[in-house]
Amino acid sequence: MKKQTNIEFLRSMSFTIGTRAKKPVKYLFLIMFGFITFFPVFWMFYTSLKSNQEVMMNTFSLPTRLHFENYIKAWKTAKIDVYFLNSVIVSVAAVILTTLVAAPAAFILSKFKFGMRGFIYSIFIVGMLIPMQTVLVPLFLQMKILGLLDKLLSMILSYTAFCLPMSIFILESFIRSLPDSIIEAAVLDGASMKRIFAQIVFPLSSPAIATVSILNFLTNWKEFSLALIFISKDSKKTLPLGLYNFIGAYSTDYSQLMAAMVIASLPLMIIYLILQDQIINGMTDGAVKS
Amino acid sequence: MDLIFKNKKYIFLGLFPALSLFIFFVVYPIIRSFFYGFYDWNGLSRPIYVGLANFKAVLSDKVFWHAFRNNIFIVVISVFGQIPLGLVLAVLLNDKFRGAKFFRFIFFMPMILSTVVVGLLWSTILNSQVGIVNNLLKNIGLGSLAHDWLGESGLALYSVGFVIIWQFFGLYMIILMAALQNIPKEVFESAELDGAGGLTKLFHITLPMIWSSIMASVVLCIAGGMKTFDLVFTMTQGGPAHSTDLMAIYMYNKTFETYKYGYGSAVSLVIFVLSFTLIIGSRALMSRKSADL
Repeated sequence: MKKQTNIEFLRSMSFTIGTRAKKPVKYLFLIMFGFITFFPVFWMFYTSLKSNQEVMMNTFSLPTRLHFENYIKAWKTAKIDVYFLNSVIVSVAAVILTTLVAAPAAFILSKFKFGMRGFIYSIFIVGMLIPMQTVLVPLFLQMKILGLLDKLLSMILSYTAFCLPMSIFILESFIRSLPDSIIEAAVLDGASMKRIFAQIVFPLSSPAIATVSILNFLTNWKEFSLALIFISKDSKKTLPLGLYNFIGAYSTDYSQLMAAMVIASLPLMIIYLILQDQIINGMTDGAVKS
Repeated sequence: MDLIFKNKKYIFLGLFPALSLFIFFVVYPIIRSFFYGFYDWNGLSRPIYVGLANFKAVLSDKVFWHAFRNNIFIVVISVFGQIPLGLVLAVLLNDKFRGAKFFRFIFFMPMILSTVVVGLLWSTILNSQVGIVNNLLKNIGLGSLAHDWLGESGLALYSVGFVIIWQFFGLYMIILMAALQNIPKEVFESAELDGAGGLTKLFHITLPMIWSSIMASVVLCIAGGMKTFDLVFTMTQGGPAHSTDLMAIYMYNKTFETYKYGYGSAVSLVIFVLSFTLIIGSRALMSRKSADL
């Protein structure tokens, strides 16, 4: 008993000494590193509110007056309004389509018994390993043959296809964990399979569906390479592709470029602020498992 | 009850939409592109069968191998830049203290931004005229160190590498933090009783216990490094003078700038094989290492 307390005491001693010595160094390091990480983003925000002349004169200075007209110019003149709307349509449509298609497949794969189950499941899982770049050329040719180039549908369909493996993977493991007894009870009550899925399984999976939808939305909103090869018409471009145009057209109007970038990032930032934990956990889980 | 869960109609109806979308837009195009790799085709005329000529041309193109070396460079700086940095930050943020969550929020933020935004933002920051970096150097009297960070062929790849680390280190921090949280506290306590110091603990407890997560991170770095495209494409388009060319950029230029679809398909396939070999090879190597530990 005595010995125990002694050790306890020694341990707490060494703990306090250790942390006391380390604490300032640790904070200094974190603050320095946090600054390097955060400053570029912060700089993007306040540069978007400066006049371009101010940017040219002094890169670091804070805006003397808030030039919100940069946003208006970017929104209208640089056609960010068009790109924004396209991004919303494509991202939301692909998220909805992915959920509608992935959820029933996940339900079947987790609760039904059939010979091909393992094979079909592994088709999707191997799909997670395929790097997007190896599909660019084949998929471009596919869209060309289907006449879908320069149509929003090309992005909606391909984003959905690429989101399926991860979505099925997350949903399958969630639905698997739902107790069979709930479904069996509904079957005994004479409910049809359609009703069981729509009114029991689907609502019960809503936490997993929410995670999947958020992650897919982020992925779709940020996607660039597929949009780049499918779309050449200005009126069909999404935000990443539209921003890329800036390089040529408005490359010296820095404040307007920053304003356009803030507009493109704002939805992501807001979602991240609200759903930090869900996003961080979901993204890392997905990354590690694939 | 069992009969219902073996009902072929339900199984078919549930799987058909997902499976057909996935096969139609992912699996089938890949298989078909395998065949296009053997043809000379500009997208308009009839494809002409050329056997292995495309593959031979890719594998003997110096520009391609230069791009491959650049990919390897990105992989190396990812493995030796992002993972150690992520590990240090994960260890620092692992003990609960005030502000830990705030720092985690900040460090993960670059992961949330779209890659095009990151590319354009850093192009501006590294810009020789209005860029932050050069202005900072001038303000602190080191103006002689100012460079055209993305415009000088000897520097561009390093600048790009820095931005890649900036964008992704947060991911590895989070992965390793999750692994650290799984180590039981008692292990450290008993090691401390045996007189283990900070470094001993790090090398004999922490690293072996999170080794599988480090291995997963290395595989992620390799996969990420081999497929890098968006960021470099927006920052330099592979220039100046091919100095930041990557395999994916090479493929893009060959396919969509010069309309060699057959050749582009062959390049895709070569990239696929190279990446897969590297990933599998590193896995085998790492699992042997973990057996030694």
